[in-house]
Amino acid sequence: MRRWLLLGVGAACALALGVLLGPTALDPATIARALAGGGDPATVTIVRDLRLPRALLAFLVGGSLGVTGAALQALVRNPLADPYLLGLSGGAGLGAVLAVALRVAAPWAVPLAALAGALAAVVLVYRVALIAGGVLDARILLLGGVVVGAFAASLMGAVMAVSPAPEVRNALLWLLGSFGRASWHAVALFAAYAVVPLLVLYRLARPLDLLTLGEESAQFLGADVERVKRTLYVAASLLTAVAVSLSGIIGFVGLVVPHAARLAWGRLHRALLPAAFLLGGILMVVADALARTAFAPLELPVGVVTALIGVPVFVLLVRRWAR
Amino acid sequence: MLRRLLYAAVAAGVLLGCDAGQGGVRSGASDTAAVGPPAHRVVSLSPSLTELIFTVGGGSRLVGRTRWDTDPPEARAVPSVGDGLEPNLELILARTPDLVVFYDTPANAAAIARLRAAGIATLSLRMDRLEDVPVAARLLGDALGVRPTADSVAEAFETVLQRRRRAVNGPGPGVLILTWDSPPIVIGGGSFLTELVALAGGHNVFADLTQPSAPVSLEAIAERNPDVVLLAGGQAPGFVDRPEWQAVPAVRARRFARVEGSAFSWPSPRSLAAVDRLAAAIAEAGR
Repeated sequence: MRRWLLLGVGAACALALGVLLGPTALDPATIARALAGGGDPATVTIVRDLRLPRALLAFLVGGSLGVTGAALQALVRNPLADPYLLGLSGGAGLGAVLAVALRVAAPWAVPLAALAGALAAVVLVYRVALIAGGVLDARILLLGGVVVGAFAASLMGAVMAVSPAPEVRNALLWLLGSFGRASWHAVALFAAYAVVPLLVLYRLARPLDLLTLGEESAQFLGADVERVKRTLYVAASLLTAVAVSLSGIIGFVGLVVPHAARLAWGRLHRALLPAAFLLGGILMVVADALARTAFAPLELPVGVVTALIGVPVFVLLVRRWAR
Repeated sequence: MLRRLLYAAVAAGVLLGCDAGQGGVRSGASDTAAVGPPAHRVVSLSPSLTELIFTVGGGSRLVGRTRWDTDPPEARAVPSVGDGLEPNLELILARTPDLVVFYDTPANAAAIARLRAAGIATLSLRMDRLEDVPVAARLLGDALGVRPTADSVAEAFETVLQRRRRAVNGPGPGVLILTWDSPPIVIGGGSFLTELVALAGGHNVFADLTQPSAPVSLEAIAERNPDVVLLAGGQAPGFVDRPEWQAVPAVRARRFARVEGSAFSWPSPRSLAAVDRLAAAIAEAGR
């Protein structure tokens, strides 16, 4: 119970930090006033329309990546699994690069193209994995993800090499991971969309526990392994695809947060998944706050910061639990 | 693999920023080659240098250019050898040049070493700031044996630049020079565009950044509250309707200035001639 309380307080502190820190130096009293809608209109805009939605989106995306990472690690029974493993990043990258190369100028063109690319990759990997006799083989799923991702990345490289638009390389910058596109629209969209896959994954907590014992044991213990695997794969992929289209590819959170959560909360997914959500959210909001402020007004790619924070924290955790 | 590609792209994006004319890191045109007798078969690997070679009267010596070199129109008649950064050596050698002119960046170090090993002279020039133009013009004049024309081009440039600088009064409207929207990439003090905006009577709100271009946070843009947004990218990225950008008053009010053409892509004599056009665009947008 104390651990949950600690995690809840941590999440609240992280969100507060996300609103308090930014390239503009604002004192807490001014920020509190701006949150209530008072004071300088420019400050109100910065606090209410830029910082607050950005912190919330970072939390939701970080949490979702933590949960999908935990679920996928159980699905493929591989500690190296992360949400982008299944070809999503390559597909999203190809979509974004194509949108820029074709000079589609609609405001949502690049995110939508990235989403389409990610979903296409998901479908392709799923088809490849089903080739092995109609069952979703975890090993083939892994391999399929890697080869489809590599294939998409190569196509992306080809488009970049021959495109007459010098801006195509900027499409890759777009993918590097940033919450600069956060707005209330994005928060509402993601929150509404993420609820279903998150609940689906949470409802799979018990079968996931069984899956980690191995597919045969899970089957023996009463889980409908094929159905669980398919549902899990679809839910995790759809969730990650939307996260990628809104915030690019942010490495490390989906890989390390599940392990950290497992160290502290054990292997039972009923506790592990919510813990991974909160931890992922906390890590992401803090990383984003640092990305915005460390070299202000310049902004670091948030993925750089998640790795810089995540690795030492993870090593500390491992040391503590190893003793 | 993809991660590596992405990080490479960040580096490439910065470099591309230079090549596409958003300036470079070091300032001052620099010469690296021992220049012997005037070159007769020249390959130019930078759009800005190709244009300058034509301006100083060496265009007839050009036997190769990059695929991006389309100014002046005569440049299109010169065979393309592909990209200017990490160039294709085979295509360059096939043009049998006696001099290859590079944009000065570490990305080209390997290509330069290989060409020199093949006995071909190279010249690396950086043209990021306006004052680099006369220096580069004279160096190219020496290398191509057209120094008198180059001298007159350089002197005319310096005279106009001084006259323009004297004519500027006051900091004028704050201008955000935007080259990309997601992440927001802006032109900093290291680029000639900051100088051009100053000559046009405005001031770059990110002039304090030493980089030619850099990704910044949207909040920093909102805080610096530019009067006008100058769109300097190759395309309109359709960002103006995105909700998060409405936090910038100039975007909300659609105070956009748009300039196109190579005069704004790299520093050249034509950039100076385009200052009035830029001033008009900024004034029009600010109204």
